[in-house]
Amino acid sequence: MRVLEAAEAVSGTVVACAAAAAARDVRGGYASDLLSDVMGNACEGDLWVTLQKHVNIVAVAQLKGLAGIILVNGRHPEPDAAARAEEEHIPIVSTDLPTFDVVGILHSLGIQGRRSA
Amino acid sequence: MFVIDAHLHTCLSPCADLDMHPSALTEAAVRAGLDAVGVCDHNSAENAGAVERAGRTAGLAVIPGMEITSAEEVHILGLMPDMEAALELQSRVYRALPGRNDERAFGMQVVANEQAEVLGFNEHLLAGATTLEVDRVVEAVHSIGGLAVASHVDREGFGIIGQLGMIPAGLPLDALEISRLTALPEARARFAPRDEFPLVCSSDAHEPKDVGKGATWALLERPTIGELNLAFRGQCGRQILGGGRPMEDLALHILDIAQNSIEAGATKIEIELQEEPDADRLVIEIRDNGTGMDQETLSRVRDPFFTTRKTRRVGMGIPLLAEAARAAGGGLEIESEPGKGSRIHATFRYHHIDRAPVGDIETTLMVLLACRPELVIRFMHKVGEETFELDARELRRAGINPATPEGLAAVRQVIRRGEAEIR
Repeated sequence: MRVLEAAEAVSGTVVACAAAAAARDVRGGYASDLLSDVMGNACEGDLWVTLQKHVNIVAVAQLKGLAGIILVNGRHPEPDAAARAEEEHIPIVSTDLPTFDVVGILHSLGIQGRRSA
Repeated sequence: MFVIDAHLHTCLSPCADLDMHPSALTEAAVRAGLDAVGVCDHNSAENAGAVERAGRTAGLAVIPGMEITSAEEVHILGLMPDMEAALELQSRVYRALPGRNDERAFGMQVVANEQAEVLGFNEHLLAGATTLEVDRVVEAVHSIGGLAVASHVDREGFGIIGQLGMIPAGLPLDALEISRLTALPEARARFAPRDEFPLVCSSDAHEPKDVGKGATWALLERPTIGELNLAFRGQCGRQILGGGRPMEDLALHILDIAQNSIEAGATKIEIELQEEPDADRLVIEIRDNGTGMDQETLSRVRDPFFTTRKTRRVGMGIPLLAEAARAAGGGLEIESEPGKGSRIHATFRYHHIDRAPVGDIETTLMVLLACRPELVIRFMHKVGEETFELDARELRRAGINPATPEGLAAVRQVIRRGEAEIR
């Protein structure tokens, strides 16, 4: 599944880097609001569900090679985060749904949580 | 009295501008009229020594410190008494800080000297979190004689309330820091309605142009950690007078102009601030009995590069207020005559998108009265139909003497009540 399809499934809109959203494959999922936890435990290719919206989320996504970021509860990236996401080709999706529902929908579509080695 | 911006980053912080090297920082701080700065890079104090040396040359006091990221991703400033203590804190933080920096993801971490020469690159993951929980961070700072201040409590990301939902009961923080997002009166109501914590304002600057855009006014003997500690506790006559966003908040424009008046020998100052939302108008008028200005000075006084000041390094008061008024669809008039004093009258369109916020009047009045307790000051603040007036002579008649710590505390209560009533 591509990031764009996942975005549509959670009634979200792509708010940064639409090109990457259409192109990038989702290989798993991770949900956390603690950046250090994501750095420690998310896997390459994961779609990351979070409410954090500052610029460091883009750095973490880039560092871990994540597929993209879904921001929950109607949150939008801060302007510098959106600009950085465009530069670094990290798709960001914004949805009004809360984390619980987003993860439920993605899981029902076959996206699994994984443990990084 | 000291103007302090206690939270500045250098080029060592991965998110900071590479132009923010130690001497650029101190130059920007001197330009902004600061007396002291705190150097608080993320999880490291490696550039603080160079800033301290650059500051010594520039006549700027430098408090070494760091902005520590707790395990819960809460940012805590550790303001340290000296470099030795800062480096001791740094070694404890490094032991608890996993990972290596990836420059491509987070940015460069440049260790530089005071000659703007690159000495090397820090390899720790300074953008990362330590394994120390927030109470252990505070404990570590205190055990080495530092002060622990919760960073930007009004910001969700990395702010203590955003990350933890509250300030944990019993956490012995020395103060809370308010970012440039929030004006001090609003911050007091939200974070310290019963003066639970002292509040400090700082810029959290990551590039030279932002240095001094947030600042705290503190009544101290010297800009040291020991003195700041007394000020946070309100002991021995030391106290935090207030803070805000210099060059932005109208209250701080007023303070700057009034300080001009004092330097021009004024013994009497009258300040009027009228907010008339219904008429879409905001008016500031400041009258003094200082030396006044002759025609030539008057014609040059709007030029930002002109100043009659010898003592302080900035003399931008009138040009900046004129610019702020013009940007908000208003203007500025000056009347002045040598020997008779000056009258400055600025108007703004109240609802104009570029009209600067009023900010904290309490700071303006507290700083003026703390510096010049004998000043005959009359202040009038009108919001719609409501008016708050403060007259220094009436305070004296009521037995309140701003020259004493008790008197100053009483003045603060009068201002706070008065300002609350008209809002």
